[in-house]
Amino acid sequence: MKNTALFILLTLTLTACEDVIDLDTETGPAQLVVDGWITNQTGPQSIRLSQTAGYFDNSPAKPVLGATVLVTDEAGTKYEFKDLKSSGQYVWTPFSPTNPMGYLGGDYTLSIKTNGEEYQAKTHLYPVPRIDSLTYFFEKPPIVANDSPKEGYQAEFFARDLPGEGNCYWIKVFKNGKYFAKTTDINLAYDAAFSPGAASDGLLFILPIRRSITPELWQERDTVRVELHAIPKEAFFFLQQVRLESSNQGLFATPPSNIISNVVNQNSGGRKALGFFGGSIVSGFQTVIDPKKARPKP
Amino acid sequence: MLKLILFSPLLFPLGLLAQAPDSPPGASTPGASTPGASTPGASTPGASTPGASTPGRATISGYVKDAADGEGLIGVSVYVRERGTGTVTNSYGFYSLTLPSGTYTLVFTFVSYEKVTRRIELTSTDVKLDLELREEGRQLQEVVVKSRREDDNVRSVEMSVNRVDMKTIRAMPALLGEVDLVRSIQLLPGVSTVGEGASGFNVRGGDISQNLVLLDEAPVYNSSHLFGFFSVFNPDAVKDVKLIKGGIPANYGGRISSILDVRMKEGNSKQAELNAGVGAIFSRLAYERPLFKGKGSFIVAARRSYIDVLAKPFLSGDLKGSKFYFYDLTAKANYRIDDKNTVFVSGYFGRDVFGSEEFGFDWGNGTVSGRWNHVFSNKLFLNLTSYYSNYKYGLGTKQSDPNAKDKFEWNSKIMSWSIKPDFTYFLTPENQISFGGQYINYDSQPGSAMARSNGESRNISLESRYGDESALYISNEQKIGSRLTLQYGLRYSMYRVLGPGQIYAYETIIPGERKAPDFPGTTYKSGEVIKQYGNWEPRFSANLGVSSAASIKVSYNRTTQYLHLLSNTAASSPLDVWTLSSKNIKPQIADQVALGWFQNFQDNAFEFSVETYYKDLANQIDYVRNSDLLLNPFVEGDLLTGKGRAYGAEFYLKKAKGRLTGWVSYTLARTERLVDGINDNRWFPARFDKTHNLSTVALYDLGNKWSVSANFAFGSGTPATYPTNRFEWNGWALPNNYYNARNNNRIPAYHRLDLSATKRVNHGPFSKRGSAEWVFSVYNAYNRRNPFSVYVRQNGDDSRLTEAVRYAVFGSIVPAVTYNFKF
Repeated sequence: MKNTALFILLTLTLTACEDVIDLDTETGPAQLVVDGWITNQTGPQSIRLSQTAGYFDNSPAKPVLGATVLVTDEAGTKYEFKDLKSSGQYVWTPFSPTNPMGYLGGDYTLSIKTNGEEYQAKTHLYPVPRIDSLTYFFEKPPIVANDSPKEGYQAEFFARDLPGEGNCYWIKVFKNGKYFAKTTDINLAYDAAFSPGAASDGLLFILPIRRSITPELWQERDTVRVELHAIPKEAFFFLQQVRLESSNQGLFATPPSNIISNVVNQNSGGRKALGFFGGSIVSGFQTVIDPKKARPKP
Repeated sequence: MLKLILFSPLLFPLGLLAQAPDSPPGASTPGASTPGASTPGASTPGASTPGASTPGRATISGYVKDAADGEGLIGVSVYVRERGTGTVTNSYGFYSLTLPSGTYTLVFTFVSYEKVTRRIELTSTDVKLDLELREEGRQLQEVVVKSRREDDNVRSVEMSVNRVDMKTIRAMPALLGEVDLVRSIQLLPGVSTVGEGASGFNVRGGDISQNLVLLDEAPVYNSSHLFGFFSVFNPDAVKDVKLIKGGIPANYGGRISSILDVRMKEGNSKQAELNAGVGAIFSRLAYERPLFKGKGSFIVAARRSYIDVLAKPFLSGDLKGSKFYFYDLTAKANYRIDDKNTVFVSGYFGRDVFGSEEFGFDWGNGTVSGRWNHVFSNKLFLNLTSYYSNYKYGLGTKQSDPNAKDKFEWNSKIMSWSIKPDFTYFLTPENQISFGGQYINYDSQPGSAMARSNGESRNISLESRYGDESALYISNEQKIGSRLTLQYGLRYSMYRVLGPGQIYAYETIIPGERKAPDFPGTTYKSGEVIKQYGNWEPRFSANLGVSSAASIKVSYNRTTQYLHLLSNTAASSPLDVWTLSSKNIKPQIADQVALGWFQNFQDNAFEFSVETYYKDLANQIDYVRNSDLLLNPFVEGDLLTGKGRAYGAEFYLKKAKGRLTGWVSYTLARTERLVDGINDNRWFPARFDKTHNLSTVALYDLGNKWSVSANFAFGSGTPATYPTNRFEWNGWALPNNYYNARNNNRIPAYHRLDLSATKRVNHGPFSKRGSAEWVFSVYNAYNRRNPFSVYVRQNGDDSRLTEAVRYAVFGSIVPAVTYNFKF
């Protein structure tokens, strides 16, 4: 709710003026970047290793090759990730296509050996509630972004936060199989609301979260897919900061700060790594927009 | 009445006061020109209190007022020519001088007012002398006003003080034509802002919450309308503005950087007056009139933005319920019970309202202050103030529907009330003692909130916090010979953190990161003292006259602040919460030394000063990354503590006389912070640090009904944090600064020119009565896109690409027309 309030506060201020400009900045030494996320979904799992580059260097990130990438669970099972295409994309392939890697309650430790350094990161897979239903109603808002549809359907999903304080969720939305992938599309929930202070444990997700699944108005015959990922608290704060540092602008910008990482160099004096290794148990809901099934606007 | 008859013979000599030989005819004593001045006002019943004065010495005291509307005049210089000494009137226009018997020439001078010279014979009897000064004006052109000695800036012990009179503020070009006090003071030396549109102002390296903003002695917690674009002070109701940046006298306390002392008009005590205006943003109305046959007066002034009224017919559908307006109401009344007692009541209420049927957001201040001026004797003056002040905001969804299935409501407020006696004891002309104290009681509700999802409600309120602040002070202003004036004092302030409350200690795990509360914490009962802080605050200023037109001044002060604004954004937002000192939040303390040279040229036509300062700040608050400052029960775990330092030099040249008036101010400054866990534990420049800051204000009177003015401002770019590297995660290019730096770069410099022209009309809008003026103004005249910030982001079409963006609050010229009238 606070974020919504701040957002409205921001948009209410006079329409200001933004110009893309050239900026000269210093470049720091390259660091290892870990982009790893495991789920209980079937199929191969992958972890990408790359290097940092100068901030305005828009060429593809340099891969980190020849690393040893191993995930171990608390039972001692080892999952070896291999760079099959020499692209820095390290992949674990299951024995059978229906065999998932992650399971509920599992503790996973990622270990990376590269250039004489060893890095570790841990994650845990938390339970996720199921999505009970997804409804939509016709909407013609007074103000829409320039390149967005002027009218269409506003969708709302219904799910209830699991009991116990501190469950965190990442809500992902797919349109006709395509993931809304911008940082501004990152939807997060802490229990049933936006933040730890909201004391929303065990509630139905609050209205702004239920309705957060319409990055642009849905059209007839669109396939709407919503995924609810139960994520660790550290992942919640990581993603919250990713979203903040990706659009830290305007009168009420906060001082930029480095995005926290859970990847730790085992040599405390060694060069630090960036990125995050996380995991989630996933529940989903999918439907096709049918005007006949639309609810009346509340 | 009996008293009056009894003592009136004693006052008889006053009526026979001889006019000084050099006094021009037009500057004749109001006593002679306005019969009203020799009414009971001047013939003081209590004027003489036999026995109160030392044998052979007598005291002369009284009030100095404006002849036009009866407003008390603040800071009028009262100079005893024969002794080369003098005093100034206090905030209520009162002065007192004790002198050996003899014949004296008293010279009353005040900027842009005619000088009044009075010759007075003092025997052993005390004398009450009330005076009215007449403003220099066009209507008195037949009078040759002689040049005056307006060298108060050089002679007074005050340093680091800027006074701007409302006449000047009104004449300066204003954004959207709206005369604005806070924007105007941003053009003074040592004062800056984090950027256009940001709320508040920064003084000598202090953040906006370190300024004590007083409206008739009541603190105003948020001085902005519309997120910071306009300040809450209605120019029609303001009489005098004084900004104290250093050498803060002992009677002020509670904030560590500066005091902005705004005094409201008392209301015209001579005749009814109506002022109104229509501008681009506000429409304004102010009415003032005498009360009780001139023994009192009042003023009521209101402003409201009106764009929503104009827009209403064009809104339809979901926008129909849109609300967007802000208003304020300022009122003040005073009544002079008798010569020894005057009472004042002032109030302010303002609100900003935004929202729709779905969502609403509003905030605003309310203050009420009552004051009693009592003259115990002609040597002892009391001002007793009592105030209540609050700042509230509220936001929520479906606010008007209590039965909504999904709903959110959130209110936050801070309230304080206080009682504050201030005594001035005019011991001798060489010694003026001030003493008094203050008690403030705080009640802070950081968040009272409720969330409802699908019919299930949760109370997510934070505990209220309580505390009280007490202070005692004494100070003396002492003249030693004709060249040296000292002001020295001591203030002791004490703060108590009061229960009830559940209080946690916090443990630092990694410096600079979120701290974890130690459960289960400690429970305190109502009224229990959780923690107590006490601080001695020494204050000292000295003025050494170098020549008749030049002086050196030096000052030191320690100030303490028990109230903290939690704000981690570039510009403070209305949602920011004022937090009281606690077990974990220590009081902020500042020590400042300042040294200055003050000199006037060409018979005081030019005032020049250069001041240098160094300020040390302790217990400054900063924030962990990802800090969560709102509705967070463990917010203290997200706060970091550091220290600050600020130093600089301020140059100020003012032209006070002639057709062309105005000033040039230049500040060279540095403001830095040191916080464990930020910037790799090294000093970093504060967000509002500006190396160079230049302001020029020029006002020119063309005669023939026109006057023109211009402002030019130049400021170094404010610090910014740029990333050194990018990394890719989940297809997003994300920023990282390898060196973990804060404010390692600067945005481009800021410069802007504003122009305005005013045409005076000799008749009101509806009849020949009254007068009017048209104000044409252009803000940002040469259309510069001044950056507020430069930030980085992902390209909107491809999240793997990075770009830098310059954000300007005003991307164009802002012209405006305002019409003001009065009758």
